[in-house]
Amino acid sequence: MRDPYAVLGVSKTASAAEIKSAFRKLAKQFHPDANPDNAKAKERFAEASRAYEIVGDADKRKKFDRGEIDAEGRETFQGYPGGNGFTGADGFDDL
Amino acid sequence: MPDGADDGKKSYSMGIDLGTTYSCVGIFKDGEVQIIANDQGNRTTPSYVAWTDKERLLGDAAKNQVASNPTNTVFDAKRLIGRTFQDPIVQADLKLWPFRVVSDGSPDDKPLIEVMYQDVAKKFHPEEISSMILTKMKLTAEAFVGQRVRNAVITVPAYFNDSQRQATKDAGEIAGLNVLRIVNEPTAAAIAYGLDTKSKEKKTKSGEKETNILVFDMGGGTFDVSILTITDTVFEVKATAGDPHLGGEDFDNRMLSYCISEFRRKHKSDPTRNQRAIRRLRTQCERAKRQLSTQTSVTIEVDSLHEGQDFNLRLSRAKFEELCMDYFKKAMEPVSQCLGDSGLPKSQISDVVLVGGSTRIPKVQELISSFFNGKQLCKEINPDEAVAYGAAVQAAIVSGTGTEEVENMLLLDVAPLSLGIEMAGGMMQKLIERNSTIPTNKSQDFTTAEDYQDYVEIKVYEGERAMVKDNNYLGKFVLTGIPKTLRGVPKIKVTFNVDSNGILEVTAEDMKTHRKGEIQITNEKGRLSQRDIERMLQDAEAHKEEDDLARGEMMARESITVYMRRTRKALEDIDSEKILKRDRERLEKKMEEVDLWLDEHSNKATKEEFEAKQRELESAMNTIMLKINRSESDFWEQQAILPENEKTIEQGGYFLDSGLDIRDLIEDPD
Repeated sequence: MRDPYAVLGVSKTASAAEIKSAFRKLAKQFHPDANPDNAKAKERFAEASRAYEIVGDADKRKKFDRGEIDAEGRETFQGYPGGNGFTGADGFDDL
Repeated sequence: MPDGADDGKKSYSMGIDLGTTYSCVGIFKDGEVQIIANDQGNRTTPSYVAWTDKERLLGDAAKNQVASNPTNTVFDAKRLIGRTFQDPIVQADLKLWPFRVVSDGSPDDKPLIEVMYQDVAKKFHPEEISSMILTKMKLTAEAFVGQRVRNAVITVPAYFNDSQRQATKDAGEIAGLNVLRIVNEPTAAAIAYGLDTKSKEKKTKSGEKETNILVFDMGGGTFDVSILTITDTVFEVKATAGDPHLGGEDFDNRMLSYCISEFRRKHKSDPTRNQRAIRRLRTQCERAKRQLSTQTSVTIEVDSLHEGQDFNLRLSRAKFEELCMDYFKKAMEPVSQCLGDSGLPKSQISDVVLVGGSTRIPKVQELISSFFNGKQLCKEINPDEAVAYGAAVQAAIVSGTGTEEVENMLLLDVAPLSLGIEMAGGMMQKLIERNSTIPTNKSQDFTTAEDYQDYVEIKVYEGERAMVKDNNYLGKFVLTGIPKTLRGVPKIKVTFNVDSNGILEVTAEDMKTHRKGEIQITNEKGRLSQRDIERMLQDAEAHKEEDDLARGEMMARESITVYMRRTRKALEDIDSEKILKRDRERLEKKMEEVDLWLDEHSNKATKEEFEAKQRELESAMNTIMLKINRSESDFWEQQAILPENEKTIEQGGYFLDSGLDIRDLIEDPD
């Protein structure tokens, strides 16, 4: 998972308006409607919207900057749930 | 995939607002959206399907006969679609519907609508009913553009869940449509608003301006709130909330209950079980409700409602508001929720856009306005047509058939509900948060909980609650063949993929073996299988033939009736000297015979029989005309070819097979 600032191509000190405008530019460029049957564009779009979800939200951006959540919005330190045959592997690093 | 343009003609794509009570269709043509009137001249069509002894009726024709045929007239399919029979909402609605709904008896517990058609009980899935309404809308669009239209964008309430979206898409497929996109209704309405204001602003300002709007969409059956940020060409949905079961019909039902209790009080008898009475009363309640948006009081009157007793009630707007006040107040909750989710303060909302017929209710407007501290509401777009309008624009964007201005627009919608999987102890692990921009995908790694476990079961849910049991179950799949090892060692990557329709697909992969699960969500809940869809598609095709046949019969019947009328008129007008008494008598006798035959057969004869009868009559008529004309000029010799653009009576024109214009006989007997 790439750093959301890098995905959007903005600096860590960018203003909210700059982030928004960067996201819209990428969205227009890579939206699947504008790029039918283009898997790469589809992934770029999804990546941009995931990044925007974190740094486009004032609260989440702060948490991310403080290292409390990762680039996917998950808390960095989490309990290890057990039982039930299928549990999370949040101890793993990002792919 | 989009239809190629057939015979060099441009192929059109339509936008359909498939409503609970009314539907509307629009098409982008010649650089603008046209909302299309149906064959009755109405720009919205009731979402009704009915079966009579003889035929299936759609739209206005179905709704107009509802009082005389209540049990075989189906509406509200949208309230059933994508739900199970045991769903509390379905169970509550059941009591109010005059038609029968049963469970399909399978473990999926799908609801089926049962009607009597030609003395046989027939059962339909809600998807099939919706597909019939979609077919009606398709025919309306085709009549307008004069060619086949297959590509469609269909709208759904923003708060429709995954099963309901899937089921709506299935309905489109059953109707033989190529569903380009499922779009949220308030988002579609926002496009209509955006284009409208843009065209006005163009004259005054330019440059990038950001506007936040709230769309309040309350129709006949569902209620949605969405907040969007509109910049020059990007429409970005920030948040959406709503109630999939709140709308005008609920208000009608409140009024209906009140009227019934008044009737009981006055007449000491209960019309509840009298389907016809209830239906008639409901129709009057709906009318009264509409009138109360402009008048302060109305009289609800139904003659001989039940057991010969008339019903007569004066209802004030204040009383109506009192009856429905809890609903009105309930509608404000999603507004607060949506604002909260969007992170925007009230003051940042520059326009509140009203969509859906129920937003005409003054009390609803008053409540919204006071929620926004007395704000002026935007009523500039047509609340009944805005959704279809926006859908038509989106259809043009997706299919690339719009103008440059339109195709340059980008619509960023969101997933209305969080999506996740069941974790240890029945916890919900969210992968996609609600209000995430779609299309999107997210992956997360999981592992086994027990030593030597060689498979995992992945159960998928949607909803906001912490425990999966409180959320909506979508389906499950099993990933097998995981190498046996200690717990916590295997790494299983689960990916959620939400497409532009808001429909979810889940995949799981064992990262060691790269074995992938057979991973299409089976979606036991509500969803039809591909086989079901194919079967229904065939049924629908068969029905179409049946309908075409019925249409053929109707036209043949019409044709002979018209011919009879014209012949009779001609016979009256022909100079009596020119026709032999014997011939006249013979023709009159023939006509009488056909009249009798029509009386007896007009309801059961086939197209061919009608045509045969008409030919008999024509030949009798022609013999006489021949005799009349023989004495005149060589007129007869020129008869073989019809003048250009003229049709024979059979084709709906004025010419006999012999080439004679019957109008000449009437206007100019010489």
